[in-house]
Amino acid sequence: MAVGKSVPMLDSVARVTGTVPYPSNLKLPDMLVGKIFRSRVPHAHVMKLDVSAAERLPGVVAIVTAADFAGDDKPNLHFGSPIQDQPIVAGDRIRYIGEPLALIAAESAAVADQAMDLIELEYEELSAVFDAEQAMLPGAPILHEASPDNIVRHSKLRRGDIDAGFAAADEIVEEVFSSPMAQQASLETHVATARWKEGKLTVWTGSQSPYTVRRVLGAIFDLDLENVRVIVPPLGGGFGGKGNVRIQPMAAALAWKVGNRPVKLMMTRAEEFVTVTKHAAKIMIKSGVKFDGTFTAREVSIYWNGGAYASSSAHLVPAGMLRAIGPYRIPAVHVDSYGIYTNLPIAAAYRGAMSSQGVFAHESHMDTIAHLLGIDPLELRTKNLLRTDDLFATGERLHDIHFVECLEAAAYGLGWHEPLQSDNGTIKKRGRGLAVMMKNTIANSYSECRIELDAEGRVTLFVSTVEMGQGGHTALAQIAAEALGVPIEVLAVTGPDTAETPPDAQTASSRSTHMMGNAVLDGAASLRQQLAEAAAPILEWSPDDLSVADGYVFVTTQPQARIPYTEVLGRNNIDALTATGKYSTNEGKLDPDTGQGISTPDWHQGAGACEVEVDTQTGKVTVLRYHSASFAGRVVNPTLAGLQNDGNVIFGMGASLLEEVAIDGGQITNPNLSDYMLPSFLDTPVELKNVSLEEEGSSFQGIGEMTLPPVAPAIANAIYDAVGARIRDLPLTAEKVLRGIQGRTDHER
Amino acid sequence: MSFELLQPDSLPGALKALAQHGDEAKVLAGGTAIVLMLQQKLIAPTVLVSVGRIPDLAYIRSEPDGIHVGPLTTLRDMERSLVIQTHFPLLAQASGEVGNIRVRNQATLGGNLAEADYASDPPTALLALGTQVTATSLRGERTIPLEDFLIGFYTTDLEPDELITDVFIPASAPGSRTTYLKYRSRSSEDRPCACVAAIAAFEAETCTDLRVAVGAASEVPQRLPAVENLARGQALTDELIGEIAAGYADNIDTLEDIRGSAWYRTQMIRIHVVRALEELRNGRR
Repeated sequence: MAVGKSVPMLDSVARVTGTVPYPSNLKLPDMLVGKIFRSRVPHAHVMKLDVSAAERLPGVVAIVTAADFAGDDKPNLHFGSPIQDQPIVAGDRIRYIGEPLALIAAESAAVADQAMDLIELEYEELSAVFDAEQAMLPGAPILHEASPDNIVRHSKLRRGDIDAGFAAADEIVEEVFSSPMAQQASLETHVATARWKEGKLTVWTGSQSPYTVRRVLGAIFDLDLENVRVIVPPLGGGFGGKGNVRIQPMAAALAWKVGNRPVKLMMTRAEEFVTVTKHAAKIMIKSGVKFDGTFTAREVSIYWNGGAYASSSAHLVPAGMLRAIGPYRIPAVHVDSYGIYTNLPIAAAYRGAMSSQGVFAHESHMDTIAHLLGIDPLELRTKNLLRTDDLFATGERLHDIHFVECLEAAAYGLGWHEPLQSDNGTIKKRGRGLAVMMKNTIANSYSECRIELDAEGRVTLFVSTVEMGQGGHTALAQIAAEALGVPIEVLAVTGPDTAETPPDAQTASSRSTHMMGNAVLDGAASLRQQLAEAAAPILEWSPDDLSVADGYVFVTTQPQARIPYTEVLGRNNIDALTATGKYSTNEGKLDPDTGQGISTPDWHQGAGACEVEVDTQTGKVTVLRYHSASFAGRVVNPTLAGLQNDGNVIFGMGASLLEEVAIDGGQITNPNLSDYMLPSFLDTPVELKNVSLEEEGSSFQGIGEMTLPPVAPAIANAIYDAVGARIRDLPLTAEKVLRGIQGRTDHER
Repeated sequence: MSFELLQPDSLPGALKALAQHGDEAKVLAGGTAIVLMLQQKLIAPTVLVSVGRIPDLAYIRSEPDGIHVGPLTTLRDMERSLVIQTHFPLLAQASGEVGNIRVRNQATLGGNLAEADYASDPPTALLALGTQVTATSLRGERTIPLEDFLIGFYTTDLEPDELITDVFIPASAPGSRTTYLKYRSRSSEDRPCACVAAIAAFEAETCTDLRVAVGAASEVPQRLPAVENLARGQALTDELIGEIAAGYADNIDTLEDIRGSAWYRTQMIRIHVVRALEELRNGRR
């Protein structure tokens, strides 16, 4: 059984010897360097963009501006789905600092840098808006004339009688929480290399969505999709930031203008910060509760700062609406989720997408209510947590629900009810906190694979699942090996390459092991059927009487009558058997006015509990112990699953305690990994443990994000437990905690 | 980024280049700071004078009255130096706190002082130790106490034609106790939000000498002799420690950055001066 075993990652030797062929390492013959000339003002009309002097610089091969897209026979300047509001390079309007205005292809980076200084830009500045709520006010600067209120998307959920719910409450608790803009901070920045040959476009890129990149490039250049090839080598991290089309159109446009040479475009760390960010969010949450801890109503308003273009916000705003409610039985729920344009870089998915912000709010809020009512935070949650067959706020009936098990696994692992070790109330105080999350996955989604078995017994799995360090290819190989009854050693995984590997929606939202894993099971079943049919004439039994397992086709009733797979192929003169596997889901249609319907095929479920120590003189928080739990259904690879859970906690500690993109007048002032602070291994809890919950008969569930969103509220709740300070604004910096302890929120000296 | 790189192989050659190019030139030693500044276009010199080929500028030399450290000595060498570890443990410690091992293997003491980065560890320790900097130009040589050398935000008293040629750290009184406290408000590998270097000499319970430098909290690290003198001839009681800490907190004009507000830094100065002095009183050497 390959499933359930901690086999090493298929490319583990390459990973430790530094030979993984990351897209940033790609070198092609005659390759040119691409560089981007960017805006330095947040909002302006472009009056003049003159690149002629730069074009004349020796070593400059081509420069692309919006003028290259003018004309019916030219590529389309704008892209975006469903809202096509984003230009490949800005034309007459600049909407954020760092927006691309001109693209340079040159023989070297040094020449491209020199060319940059020769570009002349004249503009008239417009007033700009950076705060999402201010952007919604009448009279605010308008970014896109098609959206005069600056709203990208407003999604709504209406369930039950909210007024009656609040009227029936013994207590009404209202709080406001905020999360800052953050950055996904993959070690490998965005990179794309494009080459045109005989009217066909090939792009090598670090992307979580190869087929989306192909579709969008096809639309921009008006190409049949078979003439666009997207190849995705292993990524040096994605974390949601590479889930959409970002720099690929720029690389393709440069190579298109150059004509006969490939162009590589790779972001510097500073450019990474203007390429994609995590939505800053402000969340108002109001709950009605009875004294016994029963909920009567909940109202949530969310303001997502989407940046200058819609990009994926149009899809993410409704997802964020569902993820901010909380996995609780609440009879009346109203939610308004607004995605808003501002003069900032584009915001998009960030591991635990659109969940971390909401979970920080609803799980901190749960503790506020628990303390108000004098109920233990674990008890208040378990009393109200949704169970299988309950109805969620969308009205959908829930299945395979394990919130209570997840939360209790984390809480009891930590020793929730055991006395806290303390140093008798001197400088350092300890406290505990916990939190739970629920997250819908991508609905209406499709995955396909191809499996090939050759005459030597080797199996190749062709998938467009992106390997970005998570071990996705290894997990799929394990699933295929088990389903085909072959050892993992004969498995090879290839892809994504849209010319070779079948379509897949994307590698995001923790969907691959579940969606592609089921596609692999489907393909393996088909391959086993082909083996039985090919073996039937040899064994002289009907295919229906044959079984396929452990490398043999055998007669079900006489297992000794068997032949190995290789012989089945060999004696039939078959070079290889090939099967296609598919898996799709259809759910995801919610009523736009009420948010009612079925939102997701499965719910992602996770929890965390931690113990912190707070230095009451500095406000510095140390996370001493952290226990996480996620619902995995069936674990494919225990080591990799555990690393996902623990990795989420460490990743989440960054957003909880440290990470914040600092902005001054639309300018990011900390676009480097010295000032933008990520956790160090020295910051990890001394005790870091995780559980992946399984259930008999269950399928593979995604686990890439589930233990991340609870991290911030678990820590915030532990801080409150330790020192009585409720911090509602991420990150939970030492200074905010100290101000909380001292009861001061002013900025006076 | 376009500049001429000069690589003189003698001190006179380097001084000549600096005299010739003046403000247009920048000195390149380890490069850990200046390369970042060049990349970020914070500076645009037309000439870079690399001092790496000048012989005999990397040394740690012990003399009866103190130690001389050459300006091209790396922070890693200072961190690992037995002489520094033995006689100036707080300097070994502060040198070992900078960046990471790759940075410390490259960064030099001279570069560190000439950059005058307010959030760097060694200057604060060196200030507490009463360090003197020797600067040389074709015009001659002068010795500048560190408190006069560090004059502002990334600003020193060095003239454009001067090069640091020696750093002298006078011996502390025998039996002195020292400490270096680095307070990080963010990750364990962050630069300091505030730091305190302190040295005290005692006769029995009586403090005979106290030097306290506070860094990373203001534009330049600060020593306040008037406040230090409160300790002279006194036992370091909790009350006196509180008074000294308040003296530092109240008299340093703190700055705000991503690691903390000015208000927060004032609190951190007070807390960490207390912690440093308690450590000295309680006997850690």
